[in-house]
Amino acid sequence: MGGIIYQTPTLQRGLRALLTSTLLGVSLAGSACHERPREGSGRIWVVDDAGDTVRLQAPARRVVSLIPATTELLFAIGAGASLVGRTSYCDYPPAAKAVPDLGDGIKPSIEAVLAQRPDLVTLYNSGQNAAVAGRLRELGIPTLRVNTDALSDVDRVARILGTVTGRQRGADSVAAAFDTALAAATRPAKGPRPRILLLVWEQPPMTIGRGSFLHELVERAGGENLFADVAASSGVVSIEAVAARDPDLIFTTNEGPSAFATRPEWQVVPAIREHRFLRVSGSEFNRPSPRAPAAIRELTARMEAARR
Amino acid sequence: MILEAKAITVRYRRHASAALEAVSCQVTGSELVAVVGPNGSGKTTLVRALLGLVPVERGSVLIDDRPVGQWPRRLLAQVVGVVGQQEEAVFPLSVAETVMLGRYARLGPLARPGPEDRGAVQRALERCDILDLAERSIDSLSGGEWKRVRVARALAQEPRALVLDEPTASLDVRHEMELFELFRQLVDGGLAGLVITHHLNLAARFAHRIILLDRGAVVAVGTPAEVLRREIVSRVFEWPVAVMKWFDGAPQVVPLRAGEETSTLGGPQ
Amino acid sequence: MSGARLALLGATVIACITLGLSAGAVPLPLREVWAGLWHADAGAAAIVRDLRAPRVILAFLVGGSLAICGAALQAMIRNPLAEPYLLGLSSGAGLGAVIAIASRAAGAWAVPLAAFAGALGAVALVYRLSLVSGRRLDPHVLLLSGVVVGSFAGALMSAIMVLSDAPGVRNAFLWLLGGFGTASWRALAVFTAYAAIPLALLLYHARSLDLIALGDEPAHHLGADVDRIRRLVYLCTALLTAASVATCGIIGFVGLVVPHAVRTMFRPLHRSLLPLVFLMGGCFLVLADVVSRTAVRPLELPVGVITALIGVPLFALLLRRTLA
Repeated sequence: MGGIIYQTPTLQRGLRALLTSTLLGVSLAGSACHERPREGSGRIWVVDDAGDTVRLQAPARRVVSLIPATTELLFAIGAGASLVGRTSYCDYPPAAKAVPDLGDGIKPSIEAVLAQRPDLVTLYNSGQNAAVAGRLRELGIPTLRVNTDALSDVDRVARILGTVTGRQRGADSVAAAFDTALAAATRPAKGPRPRILLLVWEQPPMTIGRGSFLHELVERAGGENLFADVAASSGVVSIEAVAARDPDLIFTTNEGPSAFATRPEWQVVPAIREHRFLRVSGSEFNRPSPRAPAAIRELTARMEAARR
Repeated sequence: MILEAKAITVRYRRHASAALEAVSCQVTGSELVAVVGPNGSGKTTLVRALLGLVPVERGSVLIDDRPVGQWPRRLLAQVVGVVGQQEEAVFPLSVAETVMLGRYARLGPLARPGPEDRGAVQRALERCDILDLAERSIDSLSGGEWKRVRVARALAQEPRALVLDEPTASLDVRHEMELFELFRQLVDGGLAGLVITHHLNLAARFAHRIILLDRGAVVAVGTPAEVLRREIVSRVFEWPVAVMKWFDGAPQVVPLRAGEETSTLGGPQ
Repeated sequence: MSGARLALLGATVIACITLGLSAGAVPLPLREVWAGLWHADAGAAAIVRDLRAPRVILAFLVGGSLAICGAALQAMIRNPLAEPYLLGLSSGAGLGAVIAIASRAAGAWAVPLAAFAGALGAVALVYRLSLVSGRRLDPHVLLLSGVVVGSFAGALMSAIMVLSDAPGVRNAFLWLLGGFGTASWRALAVFTAYAAIPLALLLYHARSLDLIALGDEPAHHLGADVDRIRRLVYLCTALLTAASVATCGIIGFVGLVVPHAVRTMFRPLHRSLLPLVFLMGGCFLVLADVVSRTAVRPLELPVGVITALIGVPLFALLLRRTLA
């Protein structure tokens, strides 16, 4: 009766284990960072931007998002209903305001996070958050650390979030729409381009460099970042450097400098003398998000208007 | 009377007993007065009171017949020069520059030194016999030389009185003698001299008058021969001594060891 | 004072100012700089006249003032390691600046004024603390109080920076690190108005500093009004340093290194030392400012970082020479 099946149980078990692990290894090695789970397997894993493998038993249903960018993306891919915690900076979409606010997200309170009984937490991939992520994992909560710095992060993070929330289709469509819209909104690189000073602080004067997504926004919108030669995401410059490069327009955000424009030392810059400001507001300029193409189109329109 | 204390009582805060009780003291020109006494007898307090550094509870202190409290700082420095026990310089001035600082009392912070000031510095250097050290840096001087530089600096103030506080501390025999000879010369030249010293025998040889203090009170005042007598010294310093007479008449105190009795020595009582 | 050394010093001053005017984010040949200075319509005029000239002059004045403060404090505390920032000034200024930013105080002068007030507040607190022990302005107590007050202010500052959600609070650090990037004629005028009297007073009392440096008692016996001079030096250095922090952030090492360097080359008597220290301090800071704006063009490095980077090895060199 037991026959062949029960003749060598160890061997069978061993063979099965060998087969499974080979398959696992192949599939893990095959993809760069994350892989689709087999349908109905219940085992979900991704490799986050910090290099850790994050595993979930089931798609996340109670997500605490400690980055405004992931909050936005979760809503975009259709997983907004699963959010149970956000930061005070998570202001888009409007529905996000209904989600409990757990603080500014810079030094997250682990207690506040735990109180929401999450099954997934998203954190910005910074050095400080390594300890927080470690602590949360010790407490049994899957924690995802992602970079949300550049426009190229939008697709990737959307797909990661799609995987862990079971909204792969939503993620795919967001990514596809984003790629299309971005390509459509991007101006060609040739032709006259207004030189834009991206000023984010005035005492001392701080500008945006290549490393920031704002740089990318402006360049795609058809402008030229005055300080494109600065590699970092931001840097301190002197008024003299600004005056020498003579920007056509000065881009500032709502929270940026304003009253400084009347100060005598800034009058050396023609754009300041003539009040050629490009003041934008809206959180789509604070973080890379699916709204970036719209932001780019707005910038393009404003630059056109300024030229006339 | 250049320096005068009239029955002064000085009490430090939080001390039950007075540091000085009704002490009087006078120093005039051409007179060298030595203040001696055991540790804690009030020698330092007396001199500090004379210089107006500590307030007196009772009595008065007069400098050149004027109450010390009424003397503006710079004017006082033109009358009294003081050489403290210790001084450590932070910046390496030359000897000449150091002595020139003594002219601050007359120049103030702003005025430029003139021929008068340079002359005073020159004379001070000569009188202290340190002309050859004039360009040396003060951090290259020996203890005795440094003392003389400070005396020269005080002399550059062209004072009428000179006060020395324990000038012979850490000096060897030669430098002790040189210093006291210098001091006596200056006094003979007209200065009023006041010295605190623990060195009874040097005081006896050089001072015109000695004030002996014990526990804040004056025990004896007078010439060395009058003050440094065996019974007085033994009692005040709580140690048996013999007192011999040097050929110039000055008493010299010799502390006795155990077993030595003046009756067994072949000397005066 | 040898004529040769003086001539060398004069040449150094001129060279530094020339370098300061010709270096910058935009390399300008000397010819153009000269034209820009004298002719309002020259191409480089705007940059040279409105930006570089006030910047160089301000850096020179601030450097000279900080150096004189250092020299005066070193005499007063009888410690060659004294620095204007030992008295808790820098942390106090930082606290003031951070409070201004965190409370979203309006106006272009809010932050500098608050930094000024903070610096003076710290100084007053240190003074008050040093009274508690019963001995006014005793050097050791001063140093200790300065450290204590500085730490306290620093802790408060960090707390506010962590708790506040005002934008730019974290940028307060950048401002505090020091820089002349927004120097203007107006800033120069304000600084001069604050600095003129304290500087004059310190220069007036140069010889008194020689006496104070001997010790309280010798100075007193030589005729100096020790208490009054100490208070004066303390107040003047506090005002000068607070004014420079309010103008251009916290710039250390100038007050520490420059007096030392000058003392190795010239006599330590303050009547000649202070003016020399002023000139050398000015040159030092102008040079540091040149480095800060040319080292990583077009970015600006904080001047305080440059003075530390130059100052520390320089100080080590000086120490070796004096101890050798």
